[in-house]
Amino acid sequence: MKRLAAIAALASIATATACGSTGQENAGQGGIYTTIDGSKQINASAPINPFNPVGSVFDGYNGMALAWPKNDPIDPNQFYPAIARSWTSSPDQSEVVIHLQPNARWSDGKPVTSEDIRVSIGLAYTQGGTAYALDPKAAGAAATIQVVDPTTIRITQGANKSNTFLSNLLSTVVVPAHVYGSLLPRDFWQKLKLAQDGKGKPAEQAKTEITGLADKVIGFAPRQDVSAGPFVLERINPGAALLKRNPYFYDSKLIGPDKVELLNYTGNQQIWNYLIAGKLDNAPFTSVPSAVLDRIRAVKGSQVIKGFSPVSTSLAFNQARKPYDNVHVRRALAYLIDRAQVTKIAAPEGGTPSLTTSGIHAEAAKVWLGSAFSGLDPYRLDPAKAAAELKAAGMTRRGNKWALPDGKPWKVEIHVPASFSDWISAAKSISSQLTDHGVDATVVTAADYTLYLSELAAGKYDVGFWLMGLGPSPYNIYQRLYGQANGWQMFGGRLEHVAPGTEGNWMGGPETVDVAGVGRVDPGALTSRLSFASAGEQKQIVGTLAKVSNEQLPVIQLWDYVNTQFVNTSRYTGFPPDDSEALRLSSGVWMQLGMIRKRQA
Amino acid sequence: MTKAVRDRPRGTALARRVAGHVVRGLVMIWVVATISFVIIREIPGDPVQGMYESLLQKGMSPDQAERATAVLYGFLPTGSLWDQYVGYMWSLLHFDLGRSLSTPGVAVTSLIGSAARWTVLPVLAGTLLSFLLGVIMGVYAAIKRSGKLGDLLALSGSLLHGIPVYVIGLLLTAIFTTLWPILPSGGPVDVAFVPGLNAGYIGSLIHHAVLPVVTYTLASYGGWILAMKSNVVAVLGDDFILAAELRGLKRGIVFRYLARNAILPLFTILALSIGMLFGGSIFIEEIFNYPGLGLLLVNSISTRDYALMGGTFLVITVGIVVANIVADLLYTAIDPRVRSGEAA
Repeated sequence: MKRLAAIAALASIATATACGSTGQENAGQGGIYTTIDGSKQINASAPINPFNPVGSVFDGYNGMALAWPKNDPIDPNQFYPAIARSWTSSPDQSEVVIHLQPNARWSDGKPVTSEDIRVSIGLAYTQGGTAYALDPKAAGAAATIQVVDPTTIRITQGANKSNTFLSNLLSTVVVPAHVYGSLLPRDFWQKLKLAQDGKGKPAEQAKTEITGLADKVIGFAPRQDVSAGPFVLERINPGAALLKRNPYFYDSKLIGPDKVELLNYTGNQQIWNYLIAGKLDNAPFTSVPSAVLDRIRAVKGSQVIKGFSPVSTSLAFNQARKPYDNVHVRRALAYLIDRAQVTKIAAPEGGTPSLTTSGIHAEAAKVWLGSAFSGLDPYRLDPAKAAAELKAAGMTRRGNKWALPDGKPWKVEIHVPASFSDWISAAKSISSQLTDHGVDATVVTAADYTLYLSELAAGKYDVGFWLMGLGPSPYNIYQRLYGQANGWQMFGGRLEHVAPGTEGNWMGGPETVDVAGVGRVDPGALTSRLSFASAGEQKQIVGTLAKVSNEQLPVIQLWDYVNTQFVNTSRYTGFPPDDSEALRLSSGVWMQLGMIRKRQA
Repeated sequence: MTKAVRDRPRGTALARRVAGHVVRGLVMIWVVATISFVIIREIPGDPVQGMYESLLQKGMSPDQAERATAVLYGFLPTGSLWDQYVGYMWSLLHFDLGRSLSTPGVAVTSLIGSAARWTVLPVLAGTLLSFLLGVIMGVYAAIKRSGKLGDLLALSGSLLHGIPVYVIGLLLTAIFTTLWPILPSGGPVDVAFVPGLNAGYIGSLIHHAVLPVVTYTLASYGGWILAMKSNVVAVLGDDFILAAELRGLKRGIVFRYLARNAILPLFTILALSIGMLFGGSIFIEEIFNYPGLGLLLVNSISTRDYALMGGTFLVITVGIVVANIVADLLYTAIDPRVRSGEAA
């Protein structure tokens, strides 16, 4: 009994201690900045390794790249300096020279050198990827990597050029050679040369050996964090990661907080609770019911920052299925959907209704298309035009419902994943609007996003939700409409169009289409050209593809996302303003850019 | 006849009984492992595509998302279903559950081991606490069943038994983390404390476990109190209780007779509940961001992490099978009627 009493007393004291501040390590004048990493959940079992997709390395804090991408609406090659202080590139990006920060040091005091970059690139080859592809025919693959001096490195691009080569190079994750170097075999660079330039069995063998290292690289678990970023991992548990200042960071004077605490979350509700409790200094936007949003806004110091986010949501069609193979049906549906109403219900804070369907987020479309943007059909709500289009498609009116040309009932099934509340709200709004106009529409949910994508790719859905406009690279933007999902794929370096229902072609659109004022075009081939075309040609192609998308409507663009972030200025100030080019980057990068200062009492 | 000679048949019977249970348990584990292996691989969905699209949804650029997902391709299970099955069983025999797809490079056993310790604390504490509370209150509710207090206790059991665990969890979260923020809303321990046997760390563990434990206790308390009340009422009508009262035995002794007989069926349920704790409590772990086995299982399903799913199912199966065996043996030990039947 005495023992039980002693344990109870100890537990009470311990709890009281935990509730108070005694025993907790105090941060200095800069305090502890508390936030959430929206890109991944914390996994305390994962190694401190940026090559591991769930590794305990957090971009901008203890994870560094050569440079950080700016939120530019059209140019993917705009970057903020990071480990790379500056860079130069030839006009066709065939050669890039990178100059490192002269004062950059790892958290163990050793300098960051070109050799670290070379090893990082070598490790990136084991993982594959655009700039570091082993296939010599791959567009935008690096050809040579040359260390010029301890802070300068020159990289050339292979024969098959890509206009995002610079962007892909600058996104390279940087790791210390003295920690990761042993992962690469001594003859790695000879093997790489053989894999890229060789032929036959030896080349294949070399490729296999290099890709075979992937497992070893992502499973590598350094005993402690060695970071070139402003912070270094101090401790991690399944609920949070604690990072402390890296005293050797090259621009240490810019960093305000002494520590950063990244909280884990398993659902949006936890982020709401943290925000309502005023615990977070910054959080990525999550879908929030308006009542919760009001409570978050009511918290002292709470603010919302908004800016451009190059993503849109659309309603996509499987054109291999009737009646969606008929463009008049797709247009009719576009005329029947009030996008403003859909957005108001589904994404009142995080989206703006799409002005039209161009394939591109409106902000970027205005820059790409100029005055031509206003020339696109806006597909405003117009039941009369919709009726005319449906009649043109041979649809008939039976009582107060539209029927298929053969007289059978027309039932529109709109598919959405159950885990996306905004898409479900949008689907219900669309279903209700269509039903009001005599189109029998229902919403069908898939258990989770993985299942949804799988069934979508298998061509099981007639109509479903689809992310699009993934800028800023125009190639990435139109890949979503005229890429693998619509039948265009690269086979051995050659672009081919596969039949609907095969190789993931679920959109089932035609290989070529007639475009008013342009003639017959192959949208997939044009999209493919976007990856290596000059700036002038890109503009011309984007203009054509926007017109194709607007006329053919493989999708109906519903709303364009708005990057919305919650911040709390009670403890820190100097957050990026609305529309900042740094808005999509982590708070760690904001700190590197001189933002985020401790609020003065 | 010496005591040793007298006990030999009983000891042999017990050994046979244990051996039978173990063999049946192993067969059950093999059957469940096989069924879950097949079902898991039949679940539709491409984990790599799922991860890529999820990263896009989070605002990552296509190139970044592609890089993050590309590394996973090398870990997708390959080969025919039969080959995979043979490999899986062979690994299982060597206590190797494979490597996780969602946490690349990390062994499934390591992930399960890490999650298990976070499950044991709240679920075991919640189970035992609710059992104790439910049993005591159940006896009280049965004895005072004609009074207002008895009615009130029974009503509390019925109400709590009817409220889903996630509703209780969300209510407690709303009250104690936002309206009256005295408890943490998520995570198992404050990362600011250095792990170890220090007051701050242990205190933080307890502080963070309060809400999950209370939620679990409230959610399962109703079942215990109702079952115990019903058992006590049934035993109260038995002849031996009447006889004991007529013989003028002390109240305490009668109560012991009563409790011992009424609690017997609940021990079996308790043993099974403890076995079930290896499945964690999905809702509680989700609501409180408690990184236990339930959450691990949910995450493994959403990411189609076959190895982790299989491993988690297996741990749950083993837990239940072992609990079944323990419950059966426990029943033998505490119920003389079962013992005498065995001896005969």
